[in-house]
Amino acid sequence: MDWSFIGHYAPFFVTGALMTLTISVFGIALAIVVGAVCAAIETARIPVLRQIVRVYVEISRNTPLLVQLYFLYFGLPKLGFVWSAEACAIIGLAFLGGSYMAEAMRAGVEAVPVVQRENAVMLGFSRLQTVVHVVVPQAASTALPGIVANVIFLIKESSVVSAIALADVMYMTKDLIGMYYSTYESLFLLIVTYLIILLPISIVGSWLERKFNYERL
Amino acid sequence: MSDFNILLEPGVFPRLLNGLWVTVWIAGVSVLLSIPVGLVTGWLMTAKSRTIRAIMRVYLDFIRIMPQLALLFIAFYGLARLWNWNLDATGACVLVFVLWGGAELGDLVRGAIQSIPAIQTESAYVLGLTGPQTFARVVLPQAIRRLLPASVNLATRIVKTTSLAVLLGVVELIKVGQQIIDANRFQYPSGTLWIYGVIFLMYFIVCWPLSVVARYLEKEWATA
Amino acid sequence: MTEQQFRGLEVRDLVKKYPKAERNVFDGISFDVPKGQVLVIVGPSGSGKSTLLRTVAGLEPIQGGTIALDGDVLETGKPGTEKAGRSKRPSALRTRIGMVFQSYDLFPNKTVLGNITMAPVLVQKRKKADVEAEAMALLERVGLADRADAKPHELSGGQRQRVAICRALILHPEVLLLDEITAALDPEMVREVLDVVLDLADDGQTMLIVTHEMQFARAVADRIVMIEDGRIVERSTDPDEFFAHPKTERAREFLHTFEFERRRKHEDGEPIREFEDVD
Repeated sequence: MDWSFIGHYAPFFVTGALMTLTISVFGIALAIVVGAVCAAIETARIPVLRQIVRVYVEISRNTPLLVQLYFLYFGLPKLGFVWSAEACAIIGLAFLGGSYMAEAMRAGVEAVPVVQRENAVMLGFSRLQTVVHVVVPQAASTALPGIVANVIFLIKESSVVSAIALADVMYMTKDLIGMYYSTYESLFLLIVTYLIILLPISIVGSWLERKFNYERL
Repeated sequence: MSDFNILLEPGVFPRLLNGLWVTVWIAGVSVLLSIPVGLVTGWLMTAKSRTIRAIMRVYLDFIRIMPQLALLFIAFYGLARLWNWNLDATGACVLVFVLWGGAELGDLVRGAIQSIPAIQTESAYVLGLTGPQTFARVVLPQAIRRLLPASVNLATRIVKTTSLAVLLGVVELIKVGQQIIDANRFQYPSGTLWIYGVIFLMYFIVCWPLSVVARYLEKEWATA
Repeated sequence: MTEQQFRGLEVRDLVKKYPKAERNVFDGISFDVPKGQVLVIVGPSGSGKSTLLRTVAGLEPIQGGTIALDGDVLETGKPGTEKAGRSKRPSALRTRIGMVFQSYDLFPNKTVLGNITMAPVLVQKRKKADVEAEAMALLERVGLADRADAKPHELSGGQRQRVAICRALILHPEVLLLDEITAALDPEMVREVLDVVLDLADDGQTMLIVTHEMQFARAVADRIVMIEDGRIVERSTDPDEFFAHPKTERAREFLHTFEFERRRKHEDGEPIREFEDVD
């Protein structure tokens, strides 16, 4: 193992990591918004939109991200929608992630016992007050583990964006292996980079889950 | 938009179906092989020895925290060289999927076994059943019920992850599609849209029934 | 000539039906709870006791009859509303009736004090400082003043239920509905909750209580109504008399289900306690 190589080329991996993180942050943020909207539509039982959301969820969960990306990046331009690789990556992540977030949030809302809502009614809360002060805090607490899991899942999924020529961690790895035959060193950097990204998030996630778990005994 | 006709070109559909078969084959083999790996892993994770459980935990956590593509790279570029295996891209894919699928399955197995309330085994004890009898007639049926829906879900995920094989050069569904697009670039400039559209649809057709089955099993066997 | 305004809860000719059901749940039930009195509803499971309470609360629609408080009509039943959700009573009307449920769920994300002060501040727009002072006084009364900053999951079921009562009381409801509030509690905790209710009765809080704690019912009630299959089987304004000498056969059978005795007896009525083959 050539340690000097590692020292030399670590900066590439930092750049790659930044790309991964940038795409992930925007993609995840958008996914959470999409998820929240979908969950709201499903739990409020809005007639037509509800079915549309169902179809969206089924489609996005039963197709691989890679195909979704290829479709966005290579396919859509033929229809006149030309977007940058970064935009495609973020949209792709949001498309895939939105349905997972929606499921987690919906489960959270449905887990709030009916009695809590009835209590709010008897205490005179308006519908809006019930949603904001009673349903959302409890739903969020239940949904948090799922949301954290989804965040980690989406960061991992973002590893395919190298396929549409984005210079993320995987791209760097492939490049360096190709250029310098430095397989072990590059793979080492690959593993270390992802561990550095994902382990802290996992730990922070667990801490958040514990903090907002109102049932903690 | 009349480039829809690319799909009707002779040989296109059969080639796509061939690619689909490769995808399904890789996924199927991986699923089948990950079952024994999963069962053994799950059993090991409930072992008495703390060392064994710790090793299993590290193995599981590593495989689950690394992106699958990274694992594929490690297997294809790294392990093959390390142990002088003549591992081709397809082999690397199957290896990674079996280890990853087995790790996930193992965690599911462990969870299923541990989630059976002690009261069940205690009731069996009080009724006079022996250890093996308890396992076969009380633990196993209930474990399978908890296990199966999630396992079918795992199978769906494996099918979707086979899409990564294209990035290693395996000639599966996506690769075939890309070859077709390239071959017909001049004749059908917007063939890209249609080919990727069909690939999208094919993945959906394979995965969606599995999801439906998983959901059905979950409802049917939901523990009160 | 001025008409004497009835003060209290009046339920007249209540009709309720579930969608797709053959029979009505209630076919014209009527009763009164005069202000300051306690009406206890008893009856077998499935007789509709909780449903009755829930319709008075406005959580379920009625298809006929009226519910009135101090002469103000809260609700009039309309046919065809079987599938409607909760009635859409305005907030001000809802706070005139308070309810405590069998499940002692408090809002888990708030402290005990927070739980109690939420509604008065958000709904009645009262000042936080005043509300907190009153909340502390209520907690003092139920014996939980030292737990004001605790979170619900740190409390026992009985403690949570007492907080739930405070939460309802702070809105100064004219009528308090209690729906089997001790049914889900461990026996040791039932007492502390019922003591609070007895206290409230002594203070003149108008209440409509569903319970199957018979001795408690006898102590707290000013009036008793027994319901079976959605019909009032017997009513009484003398609870002691009702429990000691029920007038109807159904009431007698029902009350008997709470009495147990050994069946094999000597001639003088004493249970047989000696056995031949015992080692």
